[in-house]
Amino acid sequence: MTIEIRNRLGLADVKSDFRHIAGRKIENIHNELLELEAKGEIKVIHITDEHKPIEAETLFGWKKKIPTTKLWHHKSCGQCGNIPGYPVSLLWFMNKFGTEYVDERNQTSCTAWNYHGSATSNPVGLAAVAVRNWHRSYELGLFPLIHCATSFGDYKEMRNLLIENKELRDEVRRIMHKIGRELVIPEEIVHYSEWVHVMRFEIAKLRKYDLSNIITTVHPACHCYKMIPEDCIYDKDIYAGKRTAVSTGVALALGAQVADYSTWYDCCGFGFRHILTEREASRSFVMDRKIRPMVREANSDVCITQDTGCTTTLDKNQWIGKAMGYTEQVPVMADVMFAALVCGADVYKIVQLQWHTTDWRPLCEKIGIDWKKSEEEYNAYLEKLRAGEKPENLYEYA
Amino acid sequence: MEYDENGVSIVSNDFKKEIFEEAKKDFRYEEYVRGCLNCGVCTGGCPPHRFFDFSPRMVLQNCKSNDPALVWGMMDEYIWACFQCFTCAMICPFLNNPGGVIAILREISVRRGFESAKKVLKPYSRVLLKLTAYGNQLSPDMIQPDFFPDWGPHIGYASQDLPLKRKAIPMPTLQVTNLAWDVAPEAMKELYTIFEEAGVFKIIEVVDPSLYEIIQDIVDDVRSE
Repeated sequence: MTIEIRNRLGLADVKSDFRHIAGRKIENIHNELLELEAKGEIKVIHITDEHKPIEAETLFGWKKKIPTTKLWHHKSCGQCGNIPGYPVSLLWFMNKFGTEYVDERNQTSCTAWNYHGSATSNPVGLAAVAVRNWHRSYELGLFPLIHCATSFGDYKEMRNLLIENKELRDEVRRIMHKIGRELVIPEEIVHYSEWVHVMRFEIAKLRKYDLSNIITTVHPACHCYKMIPEDCIYDKDIYAGKRTAVSTGVALALGAQVADYSTWYDCCGFGFRHILTEREASRSFVMDRKIRPMVREANSDVCITQDTGCTTTLDKNQWIGKAMGYTEQVPVMADVMFAALVCGADVYKIVQLQWHTTDWRPLCEKIGIDWKKSEEEYNAYLEKLRAGEKPENLYEYA
Repeated sequence: MEYDENGVSIVSNDFKKEIFEEAKKDFRYEEYVRGCLNCGVCTGGCPPHRFFDFSPRMVLQNCKSNDPALVWGMMDEYIWACFQCFTCAMICPFLNNPGGVIAILREISVRRGFESAKKVLKPYSRVLLKLTAYGNQLSPDMIQPDFFPDWGPHIGYASQDLPLKRKAIPMPTLQVTNLAWDVAPEAMKELYTIFEEAGVFKIIEVVDPSLYEIIQDIVDDVRSE
């Protein structure tokens, strides 16, 4: 099946059913995936009824099944080292919904942050790491849920390269054999924000605060919707199908205002290498191209993100802006953190906002959340842990 | 490789041609370099173009010119300005992928150990060590005030009582300080095999021999456990 497209950004002459009739053709990779499976070349991690999937539409109107349970959490190395409230909020929701999942140690980084920053890898290395982690979820009978946007983009790309290139498949299969694994590819590459998106109406039922006076601005992650864009969720009811729907969808479902701003399509300035070793570029980009427009044009109360790098970059680089007269500030958090916050999750123990740099307290106060009480309870909890008490975890881990 | 008095590499036309041919042999090249109308929409949307002397339109045009000297001219700091956001790829009416071309050129640069690559990646070695040796890129104990003074005084929060605060995160896998999560040794060992077989360790040996030695010591230790 092929779909013809004209303009992938959807800025001009786009139809609201997001099907375009001229231009180049993009193959739907899923047909080839199933053909390879039928030939016995690969194994596919299928999404079955057991996963209780919910369907969403992608850029060209293709259907994408999002599994909602029996999930294997594939964590983000940046997120878990820096923004722990991001995965914790996700698991908090999953516990609320009785979602079956496994969060475990037996996984590595996708290594794509490093690749995009330093190029010290190659397609064979990236694809082998991807298949290694996919296979781990496969042997547990679970479906991989990808936390990081760069992992999501990389895994979509590696899936396509593996499907399109026999030589790459053969090489990765040879490496998998050496580590006792097989060449498996998931039926869909699924980002956590897509799970949040399809669950947004269930999430909204848990809402504890009125958000009608809260103005959000959404920063979508480039590696979610610019890498293999045909695999990204669009919804004709959100931005008329002209922009990716994830993150905006849950903010709207929760009753918040979602304001537009002129640099919506810009990246965050992370740059992979730049955020670590050329930070003046990241800093300038954050303030000039994202935070200032969000505040000046939209009077934003909170910036909603969907990725590790974006959250870090946009949050951490506001403080230094003051030295150059940038007084605009806006708290930054992932969609799932914002959702957890307004559904009554503890500000410190679950949403873990204490790790964030830009002040989020005014947002809490505007929503009506008593963050001071949460802080007191958290400090008391730390003292209990210091005295040797066991931590209160979201799941048991052997 | 020879250098002139300004530190600019002096290479023969044959060598430039060899580099360009290496790029074109990459199995992704034809997918990334298609027809180019020179419309410039890629550069108009390119985030680093606003702050650097960098243009994805030029990347495509240089490749389409078939002139090895023009491609060689990008093999210094130029290719390292790219943010790898792939805005260019998404908005190109012809589905070119300048960001992907940059990735191919960067791979060549590190694989061959060009001085420009070594220089750009020198401050990156700590991250490279963490990722290659332990399978994680960023760890909580890397967020230190002396490393990130521009992130403000609150960064000090993370460095005080860090083990206790990590223990208070209600996910057991995250209750560590030296890794983003507590990577299982069996996962690390599998990663080492992948890196060996895919030539990743070899790349690091070329671009940073000292770092490679440190990584190999850690790899040996983990494998012997």
